[in-house]
Amino acid sequence: MSIVACVVEQRLDPQRELGELVGLAAGDGAVVSFVGICRPQSIAGGAVHELVLEHHPVLTIRSLEEIAIKAAERFDVSHVRVSHRCGEVAAGEPIVFAGAASGHRRAAFEAANYLMDRLRTEAVFWKHETGAAGSAWIEPTETDYADRDRWG
Amino acid sequence: MRVLFYGRLSDTIGRELQIEAPGGCSIEQLRERLIAAHPEAEQPLRSRRTRACVGDELVHDTYILRAADTVEFLPPVSGG
Repeated sequence: MSIVACVVEQRLDPQRELGELVGLAAGDGAVVSFVGICRPQSIAGGAVHELVLEHHPVLTIRSLEEIAIKAAERFDVSHVRVSHRCGEVAAGEPIVFAGAASGHRRAAFEAANYLMDRLRTEAVFWKHETGAAGSAWIEPTETDYADRDRWG
Repeated sequence: MRVLFYGRLSDTIGRELQIEAPGGCSIEQLRERLIAAHPEAEQPLRSRRTRACVGDELVHDTYILRAADTVEFLPPVSGG
């Protein structure tokens, strides 16, 4: 069993993240991963140039660790990995990698889904989007909260 | 008392305030004082999704502050 959670200050490399997870999962039957990417368009449709992810010096990494640990406890997985960018992220760059390995695919799919639903509403970041229409803080939607709540 | 703000609250109030607040004041009372001084921040300060944090631990609105505490207000968080 391994649980990895980290805040990444420089460009996130999803291939490296996945490689690390697959390397650990040699004795398993499945790896499921998700990569979140900074969208080039806002919800309103305007061009997005950059996303800034503000974080807390203590609570941010603690939140990632807590979510990863809970996923490992809740699902029949052998490895969980969460790497999340902070700071300035350009449109098109990866923001988050969330992955899990397990003996069979179902648990890994569920764990990855759970990780992302909780990260959306509980990972301690504040997103500030800058684009053609100006800048705005991006907060979770009611759908994000409902997605989180379905896990109890 | 030192009060720190994150996210949209830092836009409207600033990153940090030093305020005169006696020990024995609750988080709820501190929110009201801040709203009186910064009415433009009323919505996020009243939101139940804006959490207060003391000593790197989330605290309820009934938490009683000491004069030497540093309080952090965390508007809704979002990763992914």
